[in-house]
Amino acid sequence: MDTMLFTERSIWTMIHGIVLGGGALMALFAALLSLRAMRTANASDAVSQNQSSHMVWLTVFIAVVLWLTVLVGTYVTFPPYRAAPPEGLTDLSQYPRSLLQSNPGTVWLHGFAMETKEHVPWIAAMLATAVAFVGVRYRSRLLSDTQLNGMATTLLAICFVLVSVVALLGVFINKVAPLA
Amino acid sequence: MATIEGKREEVANGAALASFLAAGIGAFAVGFIVILNEAGLFAVPALYAPTGGVSGRTTLAVVIWLISWAVLHRRWKNRQIESRRVPFLSVILIGLGILLTFPPVWKLL
Repeated sequence: MDTMLFTERSIWTMIHGIVLGGGALMALFAALLSLRAMRTANASDAVSQNQSSHMVWLTVFIAVVLWLTVLVGTYVTFPPYRAAPPEGLTDLSQYPRSLLQSNPGTVWLHGFAMETKEHVPWIAAMLATAVAFVGVRYRSRLLSDTQLNGMATTLLAICFVLVSVVALLGVFINKVAPLA
Repeated sequence: MATIEGKREEVANGAALASFLAAGIGAFAVGFIVILNEAGLFAVPALYAPTGGVSGRTTLAVVIWLISWAVLHRRWKNRQIESRRVPFLSVILIGLGILLTFPPVWKLL
């Protein structure tokens, strides 16, 4: 008998959480570290130009990956999560929201964790886009201009915290009520 | 001050500050729309039924973010803004936006 190792729904969940969300987290960490480590007073030399070019690509990558994470999360994995089960169904394993709400011990995973995940990532994507725009427009000034560097670092740090928290909440939800 | 091939070229910081402030406005819009929805004062219709109301709320916030960005960019792109008020205001708006999307906050209503 053939047994499917992963269903389409679980594959999309992995793409959303591990590939895109995990990729964004790693790239955010790299960008934050680079923004501080590669700061320079003079961005005119060849090394700084090269570093800033990599920095710009990294910020663009973060923005693109975060938007993909948000869109896949909202429009691909969220609908099956919130689908309503047929009347009288007792096995709720295919209906994660209803499964979470059926147990007083896991109600918070919908009421707090998923409700947070629905909106907060959109803020992270907007912040990352602003930093990517500044990177593309100002290039090496992202590393040499104190104000731009500081603001980009602040926004990406906020992004990093937001994405870390929603990723952790996603892990909790998926542990109790996976999209199988 | 950006340098290209040894030639120093002034690039105004207005466009950068416009993008930061617009991100703050967008973040605040997300939180504000969520809190209005939770208070029962304004419910954005769902744009995609399987996703529910979140599709309308987030799309409206994105539209507000993009419009505010376009307006600010148009006004500030050639300006050098020395004030620290814009970055400060951006961070405050972002903080408020995050706070308003936090379920324990809107469950106080």
